[in-house]
Amino acid sequence: MNLPNYFLADLPSEAELTPTMIVAACDTLKRNREKYLQARSTDEIVNILCEVAAEWLKPENKFRRFVLEYGLAQTGFSPAILEKGLESFFRRFTPVNFQALLAQDLGDADAWHFWRGPELLVHVAAGNIPNPALMSLTLGLLTRSAQFMKCASGAVFLPRLFAHSIYDLDPKLGACLELAEWRGGQVDLEAVLFANADCVTATGSDETLAAIRARLPAKTRFLGYGQRVSFGLVTREVLREETIAEMVARAADDVIAWDQNGCLSPHVFYVEERGAVESDQFAARLAAELIRRETLEPRGKISVEEAAAIASKRAIYEALATHRGDVKIWVSPNSTAWTVVFEHETRFRFSPLNRFIYVKPVPDLAAVLSGIDEVHGKVSTVGIAAPPEKMRQLAVQFAHWGATRICPLGQMQNPPLTWRHDGRPALGDLITWIDVEL
Amino acid sequence: MNPELSNFAARLRGQISSESREGREVGEVKPFPSQPSCSSRDIFEKEFPKLALELFALQFKHNAAYRKICAARKLTPETVAHWTQIPVVPTAAFKELELTSLAPVERTAVFHSSGTTEQKPSRHFHCPESLAVYEASLWEWFQANCDVALADCELICLTPSPSQVPQSSLVHMFDTVWQKISGGASVPASRSPFIGKLDKDGAWTLNFEAALSALSANAKLKTQNSIVILGTAFSFVHLLDVLVESNLRLELPAGSRVLETGGYKNRSRSLPKAELHTLITERLGVPRENILCEYGMSELSSQAYDFEVGSQKSEIRSFHFPPWARAQIISPETNIEVAEGETGLIRIFDLANVFSVAAIQTEDLGVKRGDGFELIGRAQLAEPRGCSLMTA
Repeated sequence: MNLPNYFLADLPSEAELTPTMIVAACDTLKRNREKYLQARSTDEIVNILCEVAAEWLKPENKFRRFVLEYGLAQTGFSPAILEKGLESFFRRFTPVNFQALLAQDLGDADAWHFWRGPELLVHVAAGNIPNPALMSLTLGLLTRSAQFMKCASGAVFLPRLFAHSIYDLDPKLGACLELAEWRGGQVDLEAVLFANADCVTATGSDETLAAIRARLPAKTRFLGYGQRVSFGLVTREVLREETIAEMVARAADDVIAWDQNGCLSPHVFYVEERGAVESDQFAARLAAELIRRETLEPRGKISVEEAAAIASKRAIYEALATHRGDVKIWVSPNSTAWTVVFEHETRFRFSPLNRFIYVKPVPDLAAVLSGIDEVHGKVSTVGIAAPPEKMRQLAVQFAHWGATRICPLGQMQNPPLTWRHDGRPALGDLITWIDVEL
Repeated sequence: MNPELSNFAARLRGQISSESREGREVGEVKPFPSQPSCSSRDIFEKEFPKLALELFALQFKHNAAYRKICAARKLTPETVAHWTQIPVVPTAAFKELELTSLAPVERTAVFHSSGTTEQKPSRHFHCPESLAVYEASLWEWFQANCDVALADCELICLTPSPSQVPQSSLVHMFDTVWQKISGGASVPASRSPFIGKLDKDGAWTLNFEAALSALSANAKLKTQNSIVILGTAFSFVHLLDVLVESNLRLELPAGSRVLETGGYKNRSRSLPKAELHTLITERLGVPRENILCEYGMSELSSQAYDFEVGSQKSEIRSFHFPPWARAQIISPETNIEVAEGETGLIRIFDLANVFSVAAIQTEDLGVKRGDGFELIGRAQLAEPRGCSLMTA
C-alpha cells in the first residue's frame, strides 16, 4: 500500500527534517485548525472517531491488513498480538464510551462555563506500544486542537496509519494532524516545535521528562507521564479447580498483551497461599498456558539486549532452583519466548518483560504490601482475581496504598476509554476552563 | 586442600608460567617483553580440550554447589564429551551460592564483585594455591599484552591499596604486577604505586595531590622511565576531570602505557570509550595504541585484553583471553554459539579457576571476532521500561 504524502512522516526516509519545515508545519496546522476544526461540534468529532474505529475493526480494512502484513517487521509484534491489541483498543470507541468520557472530564460545561483546548498540542510519543500514542491523538481531536506528534525513531508506523485512516474519512480533520519521527534530543527541531506548542505531552523516563520540561517556555503546559509498573494479585478464593483454568487464562492474557511491554503489563503475580490449588500449581499451569498461547499468539521479535536480559535472569533462577525447593522456573525451549519464575521472595521484581513473569506466593495482603513497598508511587495498575466482595475490599486497600488503577485480572492492558492516565483526567488536563460570572 | 585439585593447579601453573618453563625464578622480571612463549600457546592449543574436561570432572567431584547445578541439567563427566558442553554457571550465582571446592577453613581470601552496596556481592573464595594460579595467569597475560620493558617502568595504580580493599580482585592483580616488577622487595609506603583511596562512604576515589605529583614529576623529565598507569575507567575520569579543571596537559614519557578496565558503576559520569581514550591522549600524552583495555571480573582468574602485539593498528580491537581460557559468544535466544560478527553473551572457560568453577556465563554482550570478541557491555537488567520508557 502506497500511502499518500500527507505528513512529514510520509517523506522518504532520506529526507532530512529542518527547523524551517517544522515551523511551516506548525503554521499550517494552526491555520487548518482555525478553518476546519474549531467550529466542529464534539458530537461530530465523536462520530468520526467511532467511524474510524469501525473501519479498523473490519477484517478487510486496508490499514488493518497493512498492519498485519508489515507490522512484525515494523513494530516487532506478531500479527496476532497486533490484531488483538488494536481490536481491543478500537472496540472502546463507541458513542456511549465517548459520552462517558466527556461527561466525566467536561461535564461541568454549560452556557457560562466552557472550555477550550490548546491551539497546538504537541505529543512526544514513546516507542514500545502504540495505544498511548493513538489515544493521545484521539483526545487531542476531542479538544479541537491542532496536533503535532513526534514519535520515537522507529515508532511512527501505527500512529501514522491511524492518522491516515482519519484523513481518509475526513481530510479536514486529518489536515489538523502532523506526525514526524526523529531520535529524541534533536534540539534544533524540538526547540521550534516546543516554541509553537501551547501544551506538550510526553511519556518517558523521569530523566527524559525532566529534560523536556526544562526546555519548555514557562507558558507552555506540560503533561509528563513517567515510569510506571504494574502487578497482579490472585486470591485463594479463586484458586479452585472450577475456576483455575479461567484465572490462568486471564493471567496469560495480561502477560501476552503487547508482549508485556506496556506500563500496565504485570511484572509480578502475587498468588495467595492455601487455596485449593496451591500457588506453585498456578505457576505451573500458567507456564502450560503460555506454551499453548505461544503457538496461537507468538511473542514478537526482540533485540539481542532484551534476549540477553531474559537469558541472564533465567540463568540465575535455574541455578537457584537446583539448590532451593522454593524456587522453580519454567522456560520456553530453545527460545526466550516465555518464562515463569516461582519464588517465595515477596519483594517486587522488575521483569525483563517480553513474557517473563514472576509468580510469588504470599500468605496475605500484608505480605504483598511489604513486597511492593519499593515501587510505591510507581505503580499504575493492580490486576485482581477475587470474588466481588473481596475485590472491593482489596481495591480500597490498594487505592489507599497508592495505586491509581485497580482492575480485574485479564484486563490490565485494556483500560476503558475513561481511564485517567496515572490518575490524571485525560481530557481535563488538556483543556482550559472559562468561567463567566453574571 | 583437595590433592587432586592441588595437583591440577600446580601443573597448570607450570604450563602457564613462562618463568617456570624457562627455569627462572617466579618474580624475576624477564629482560624483554614477549608474548607467552610459543610453547604456552602450543601447549594449550593442544591440551585445552583435555584439561577442560579433566578439570570439569574434578570440579564436579569436589564442588558440591556446582555438582547440583550440573546434575539438574543431567550433565556429568560421563555425559560431557567436549569442553563446550561443560555446564556453565552464571556470574550472578556467585552471589547466592558458595561455588567453591574449598572448605570454609581453607578459604584465606575472598574476592567480591564491585557493585552498589545494597546488592549482594559475588564471592569468589581463594586459598594460597588458587591465588598462586591467579597470579601466574594474570602476570603472564599482562606482560604479553603490555608490550613494554616492565622492569624499567614506573607503575601508578589509580585504586586504593590492597590493604584498604583486600576483597578486590582487580587491586590484587595490580598489586601482583607491582610485586613482580619491583622484584618482590618490600618498599616504603611512600613509594607505594597506589594513589587511590576510599572516601567516607567507602567509594573509590583518588588522592589527587599524589596523582598529580606522581604524574607531573615524571612528565617533566622526558628522559624518565616510561610510566604504566593502571586504573578503572571511572578513576581515569576522576583524574582527567581534575586535569581539565586545573588546565593541565601532561606529556608522559615515550612508551608509557595506560591500562583501563571496567565500567563506571555510577562512580563517575560515564563516557563512551572513544571519548575517554581521546581525553587520555589529550591530557596524558599517551597515544591510542598505547592504551590497553582489560576485561576481567572477580569470578574469573584470567583477563582478556584488547591489545596484542602486531594487531594494535586494526580498527576494531577485539578482546582475547590467554591460551588457558577460551571465550564463546552465545546467542541468548538459542543458547548456541553465534556466527562471526554477531552479538551474544560472553561465556568463558577459564582453566585458572581451578578451585571454583571454570565455566562461567557472564551477563555481558560481545560481538564475535575470530576467537576474540568486541565488548558491548552489560545487558540491561532490572530496568523498568513500561510504556513510559524508551522515548528516544
